[in-house]
Amino acid sequence: MAIKLDGEFEVPRKPEEVYEFLTDPNRFAPLLPDFQSVTVRDATHFNIQVKVGISYIKGTADLNLHLADTERPVRAQYRGEGKVAGGNVAIIAGFNLSPVNGGTKVVWQGEAQVFGRLTSVAGGLLEPLGKKNVQKLIDALQAAMK
Amino acid sequence: MTQGSGNNWVGKAFPRKEENRLLRGRGRFSDDVKLRDMLYLRFVRSPYAHAKIISVDTSAAEALPGVLCALTGAEVAAQTQPFIEIGPEPFAKIKDYPLAVSKVRYQGEPVAAVVAESPALADDAADLVQVDYEAIEPVLDAEIALENSSILHDEAGTNQVWNGVFEYGDVEQAFRDAAHVVSIDKMHFHRFSSTPLENNVVIAEWDPKDERIYYSCNNSFPSFAIQFLAAHLNVHIDRIRVETFDIGGSFGIKITSYPQMAICALASKKAGGRPVKWVETRSEHMTSSAHGNERTFRDTRVALDSRGVITAITSRHIDDCGAYPRYEPLGCVIWAQVFAGVYRFKNARIDFTQAVTNKCPVGPNRGYSRMQHLWFLERVIDICAHQLGIPADQMRLRNYIQPEEFPYTTPNGCVYDSGNYPKMLEVAKQRLGWDEWREKQAVARAQGRWIGIGIGTTLDSGTNNFGQSQIVNPGLPYSGNSQGANCKLDIYGEVVVAVGSCPQGQGHETTAAQVVADVLNIHPDLVTVRTGFDTERNVHTGFSGTYASQFAVSGLSAVHGAAQKLKTEMKRLGAFVLQTGEDDVEFGTGAQGPELRATSTGRSISYWGLANLVNANSAVLPPELYEITLNCRYIWRAPFRVPDKEKKYGNLTLTYSSQLHIAVIEVERDTFIPRILDYVAVDDCGTVINPPIVEGQVYGATAHGIGAALMENCVYDAVGNMLTSTFSDYIPITAMNMPKLKYDHIETPSPHSYSGAKGMGEGGAAPVHTISAALQDALFGEGVFIDDSFNNADSLFRALVPKEVSQAAKLVKVEKRA
Repeated sequence: MAIKLDGEFEVPRKPEEVYEFLTDPNRFAPLLPDFQSVTVRDATHFNIQVKVGISYIKGTADLNLHLADTERPVRAQYRGEGKVAGGNVAIIAGFNLSPVNGGTKVVWQGEAQVFGRLTSVAGGLLEPLGKKNVQKLIDALQAAMK
Repeated sequence: MTQGSGNNWVGKAFPRKEENRLLRGRGRFSDDVKLRDMLYLRFVRSPYAHAKIISVDTSAAEALPGVLCALTGAEVAAQTQPFIEIGPEPFAKIKDYPLAVSKVRYQGEPVAAVVAESPALADDAADLVQVDYEAIEPVLDAEIALENSSILHDEAGTNQVWNGVFEYGDVEQAFRDAAHVVSIDKMHFHRFSSTPLENNVVIAEWDPKDERIYYSCNNSFPSFAIQFLAAHLNVHIDRIRVETFDIGGSFGIKITSYPQMAICALASKKAGGRPVKWVETRSEHMTSSAHGNERTFRDTRVALDSRGVITAITSRHIDDCGAYPRYEPLGCVIWAQVFAGVYRFKNARIDFTQAVTNKCPVGPNRGYSRMQHLWFLERVIDICAHQLGIPADQMRLRNYIQPEEFPYTTPNGCVYDSGNYPKMLEVAKQRLGWDEWREKQAVARAQGRWIGIGIGTTLDSGTNNFGQSQIVNPGLPYSGNSQGANCKLDIYGEVVVAVGSCPQGQGHETTAAQVVADVLNIHPDLVTVRTGFDTERNVHTGFSGTYASQFAVSGLSAVHGAAQKLKTEMKRLGAFVLQTGEDDVEFGTGAQGPELRATSTGRSISYWGLANLVNANSAVLPPELYEITLNCRYIWRAPFRVPDKEKKYGNLTLTYSSQLHIAVIEVERDTFIPRILDYVAVDDCGTVINPPIVEGQVYGATAHGIGAALMENCVYDAVGNMLTSTFSDYIPITAMNMPKLKYDHIETPSPHSYSGAKGMGEGGAAPVHTISAALQDALFGEGVFIDDSFNNADSLFRALVPKEVSQAAKLVKVEKRA
């Protein structure tokens, strides 16, 4: 099951600062909804754990991510995969930055390919839940980068 | 008291003996069985439909207190043989193990198993097993699978499991002579399953002292399962004991539980011989037990004469058997039992291919392999009728095999024993109020409503000739069919019957008792029928089990034979003790219960007294009666021959029950929901042994078929996730969704069974065909062509809106030559 989301938002910081923030897992990851921990393995590889609660499926998502295809301070892409209660997930998420009105416009795209029972027992909830959590993340990013 | 050859109980609505136990909650199902020191097994299953297994780490699970052991595919492969394959090379080269070894091939495939002191501990431990995968592009469509761009089983080098051409008559000449030729590009029979109340359950105990394995389970074809298990586990087949008790439905799906049986045995062995129980969850059942075969029909051409009589059919059929063949490719020939359906055409060529895909393996599912073909034929009939403007009932009457033609030999050599399809149509139309509904339909259509009336005529072929397996693999050592039974008078004179079937609700206890009661001229309540199957009762043959609509013929014939043998012995013994001739001895019930009586003198002896002579007072017997045991085993064998493997010709089944259903359906214009307004089911299973049992099975088969047609569909997404693994999404039919059924029956006794009965219960998926026909009738005017067996509101919406170009015009072409 593929979940594709995209959008854009603005923050009142320069692209260089936004890029630094979004490519630093220690700063970026804690803004994820239900964040539990982050372990940075090297400059481009890290693990994130977040709590998951979809319908009666509750547990922890353990995601291995790496930063790829970067062009400072214009764009970057995260790729990775992980295990979630009841399934596995493969993730590609990226952003493009452009200066606007003294700040930065963030155009982002994300795709998660979900495998396993999670899709059948909570498949209908995944996309709305994803949208909700992305909005929470954007709100948190905007608050952090005021 | 009358001579005991009467037919007093067979045919009567005798209440089911099983109800006394089952309705009071006193049934004994596999999960009720609790053995000392029992352990519990949980599978770790693949989230991927197709992936390489990089590593499996069970250390964290095994470190959990209360966990006894874990098993991986590599470990299983090191100590077992791959399961035997029914099909021929090259697909026979595949290595099928009960746990995935280096690759997973469908979502839900077991990758590891953990064994713990409690079910909850086993659940927790399974979550701790770490499996790393590398995803591979899945293949989810059989036609694409045949392109071999992604191979599931590298050992085979192809995704094609089997291919064969079934050709009879002079097809080319028939097309040259045709008045009309109808071409249909593509049709599709969807994947659905059975949803028995009770899921699969296995308890296995591997005795380390003498390498014996005991199974308590609900497998519905144990004599087949132990053949697979013995070879796989390197254990002599006689060291495997299988017991079944009450079974909460199977519908064929529980035939293929032998991989789980293997794992439970290996787990017990690893756990030092402690018994291991596995109870399948509903989601496991939906994703990974077995589904029914999915089939696509390509390039169909139908030749018809000027009256609409079909003279020839050609088509390519592509069957999707999921990730592992398991019971397949038997389905590649079993459909041919009903090659001609209920129709008279003599010329046909069907090119049949089966392929593996990254979906749950298939297994026999009520109407196994035949229902797909019957649906195809019924669609052909209806599409031709609509295209040629012939009313659906008239089209069938012109094409039906006629009553006077029975026994009827089909183009591929099957012998239909009896039937009267025109009569069934007449009865069904009468019960429906056909003419009144036609009038109502005309009025409704004038109001813009979408109402259709559909007919489905199907066959339920029962008692297989296993020689047909040689058509798919000439090297197989199977042919014919047999069933065993034992009938005895025990030491206290109780009549006890054992038979090699594993009933799942079909009333075997009752019908077997009725048959024996008639032979011995006693009440069925005086006959005890052992429940379930047990290899140690020694009444099974290689075909024993409950499947393929055969008990009324094979099972009851075996029971009848055993009872006759017992009767002969009792009569001989009775003549001796009553000091009279055998012809003077009559069977019946006296003041002290069942007895034998000399009609000339009035002297009698009770069953107890008779049994006592053989078992506890034998010194009074003369030597010439020593051979009497009052413990009589009988093996019934069906009168089959091995089919011609090259020509694919021969009698594949002994009896042919038939079903004729009519449905009236309205598709709501606002919601596209199809609603059944009226429904008739007429059945003919020959001589009816027990009317309520037959009626109950007709209701069950009808419910299953209506569910399949309108509600039940195994849906996979683009990467092979099964999206319908719970009842919230799969939506099996319940009493709430069932229409009020008008049931009727006719009886055309079979000349091929001792009682005239035919096997029944599968029902030929008649509602699937009937509902497709009714929807076609409702929507043909809208340019909609029903090309799929599954039709819910969503699919009807997609077919109807938007409709820029007539779908029927694109997919169906008619060449009118006359």
